[in-house]
Amino acid sequence: MRTDGYAAIEDYALIGDGRAAALVAADGAIDWLCLPNFDSPSVFGALLDPKHGGAFIVQPSIPFETSRRYLPDTNILETTFRTASGIVRLVDAMTLPDGQLAPMRELVRAVDGVSGLVPMRWRFAPRFEYGSRAPCFTTRAGVPVAIHRTEAIALQRWDAGTEVVHRDEGLEGAFEIAENGRAMFALATAYAEPLVLPSRAAAQDRLQRTARFWTSWAAGLKYDGEWTDAVRRSALVLKLLIFAPSGAAAAAPTTSLPEDLGGERNWDYRFCWIRDSNFMIDALIRLGCSDEARSLFWWFMQATALTEPRLHVLYRLDGGVGFAERTLQMPGYRGSRPVRVGNSAVAQTQLDIYGALFETAWLYSEGHHALDIDTGIVLARIADHVCDIWRRPDSGIWEVRNGPFQFTHSKVMCWVAIDRAMRLARRGELPSHHLARWQAEAAAIGAFVEERCWSESLGTYTRTAAGEESPRADASLLMLPLVGYGDSRGARISGTIDAVIDTLKHGDFVYRYRADDGLSGTEGSFLNCSFWLVSALARNGRVRQARELMNALIGRANEVGLYSEEIEPRTGAFLGNFPQALVHLALVNAAVAIRESA
Amino acid sequence: MTSLWSSVIGGFAGTLVMTTMTRSASEIGLTRMDLPFLLGTAVTDNRRKAKAIGYCFHFAIGVAFALAYWAVFEAIGWSTWWLGACIGALQALFTGSVLVNVLLPIAHPRMGTPDTAANDVTLLEPPGFLMLNYGRNAFLVTLLAHIVYGAIVGWTVRI
Repeated sequence: MRTDGYAAIEDYALIGDGRAAALVAADGAIDWLCLPNFDSPSVFGALLDPKHGGAFIVQPSIPFETSRRYLPDTNILETTFRTASGIVRLVDAMTLPDGQLAPMRELVRAVDGVSGLVPMRWRFAPRFEYGSRAPCFTTRAGVPVAIHRTEAIALQRWDAGTEVVHRDEGLEGAFEIAENGRAMFALATAYAEPLVLPSRAAAQDRLQRTARFWTSWAAGLKYDGEWTDAVRRSALVLKLLIFAPSGAAAAAPTTSLPEDLGGERNWDYRFCWIRDSNFMIDALIRLGCSDEARSLFWWFMQATALTEPRLHVLYRLDGGVGFAERTLQMPGYRGSRPVRVGNSAVAQTQLDIYGALFETAWLYSEGHHALDIDTGIVLARIADHVCDIWRRPDSGIWEVRNGPFQFTHSKVMCWVAIDRAMRLARRGELPSHHLARWQAEAAAIGAFVEERCWSESLGTYTRTAAGEESPRADASLLMLPLVGYGDSRGARISGTIDAVIDTLKHGDFVYRYRADDGLSGTEGSFLNCSFWLVSALARNGRVRQARELMNALIGRANEVGLYSEEIEPRTGAFLGNFPQALVHLALVNAAVAIRESA
Repeated sequence: MTSLWSSVIGGFAGTLVMTTMTRSASEIGLTRMDLPFLLGTAVTDNRRKAKAIGYCFHFAIGVAFALAYWAVFEAIGWSTWWLGACIGALQALFTGSVLVNVLLPIAHPRMGTPDTAANDVTLLEPPGFLMLNYGRNAFLVTLLAHIVYGAIVGWTVRI
């Protein structure tokens, strides 16, 4: 199941509580957990360093086979181990606070005997600061506690053996589980505050309350159509990726899972991208999650207040903008180095984010509330800024490092920004004194795109404007019909979709582009591009084709319905950070696009 | 010799200057800190109304703190602008480390705390220690504004 200690990315499942998230491998190992928040340093980092990264393993001590699922409509994972001597179920969850005195963060693992008598083993080996700091182990009231500076992690155990062996900088133990027996572990953590050691009854109660919360939350989802299971699973994943203390949405809970095995395309995604916002707001509103949509919009208006009218590409989950990129001394996933924390894409100019912000505001206004006057004034300032800067080259949606270029997608998104500003101004939600200028600039952008970003010989909009590079297609152009640019059933959009299919599609999957981007190595196909193609086909009127592709893509999720950023078309192996919000957002929006177009 | 009414006037004037400073700092991109907005959103989720209500709260709190300053000056028997400035600095430290970092998120119905989890939806991010979530300069601006506030109260309370 593992290669050199690394599990396949598709073998992981996610559990979390809206503040932190853990990746659980199919063999019962928790290989990734950052505490106390998504973007904190890891305490379990075996995902990137199996030897010294740290992990928490619970599994049979004899050969086994596994199958997994989430308990229906929850983010509680159930792993079933089948062995020669019996069957065991492992239930994993990060519990939610219940108003009682509870650990700051709590991860519960319940081991249930289904049949026979199964010997089990466990290993608790946290490593702080991305594996660079071994813990100091001590005991509190007989409970082993790993300590590093102001962090402490206690391992409570019930019916999970009595003897604890200290070996290789970790604690180990063994026990047997019989039919109808239950052993439990509760990982109680504290950061800059005293530890709370939970009782078995309290941990069990929180586990049940957590299950009830998830089922009641999922019951509020409004989607009812084809691919319901996949859409609901995506909604549950997206909910896990929303950082509850602020309302921001993380792009993924991991860093540096490679886009190219052994390559340098390894990035930290534990940030909130402005770009994802319009997809997120759109999906949340369509799914009936209006509270989360409003929270995200409020967060955006607060986060952007420091820099407006200029926008940063991404923001920290707490709303900050300081996150210098640095590399860690970790071997990386299957030797993919460097391992990065922080993200230097923040320094890039990416014009499309302005369109994303305005589309977000428009969707929010359409689906929820009218914008207040102060928000309208800020957005008007940003619209004026877009009028000033849209002619500049940028690094584009794909954050190329050999730019800047005159990217077509960026120009179109600047058009979206001004178009949505005009729509909001006409409704009285934005000041309208610059409306004439906005109209003129929107027309100028449209003329630029139609004249300089269209290839008559190829019959497609091109990746960049004429004169930048040889004309070619780009998957970002699939966004044009999705953001309402041009006639979604017209010849130019049809030609562009065909060009993407002809030049970038491989089987069911779509590559972003085939061009130099300033980085070495190759990459898999971006799964969001494949779902964008589904949406574009649906909006273009090719619903049957869209449905076929959607069915194929739904079948490529992992065992528990999750997707990573990319997939290797030839092998089906997952690549890139996991699970990725943008892919699940694209899935939801593709399902909706087909339903609306059918 | 100090005067209760002078401290009330000083509190109002000091809050006026402090609010102007922090608002100006926001406008020039130094901080996202907006205390009237934070206070007002405890009462309403209408952003516009929240600011209006928040300003009223802020001025009331500013006057209340000025009365506390007056009590300190009376207790020690003298006052001056720089003593007021020193108390203002201490107040800023308390505000940044405890008041808005710990107490406000607990009391505010729409603000997240570090313990807010998936079973809750918040509208306002917590300020964090020394309000660093609201920009790297947030505390510096708050500190300067409180020093000026304290100096004004310390000076006017003797009039």
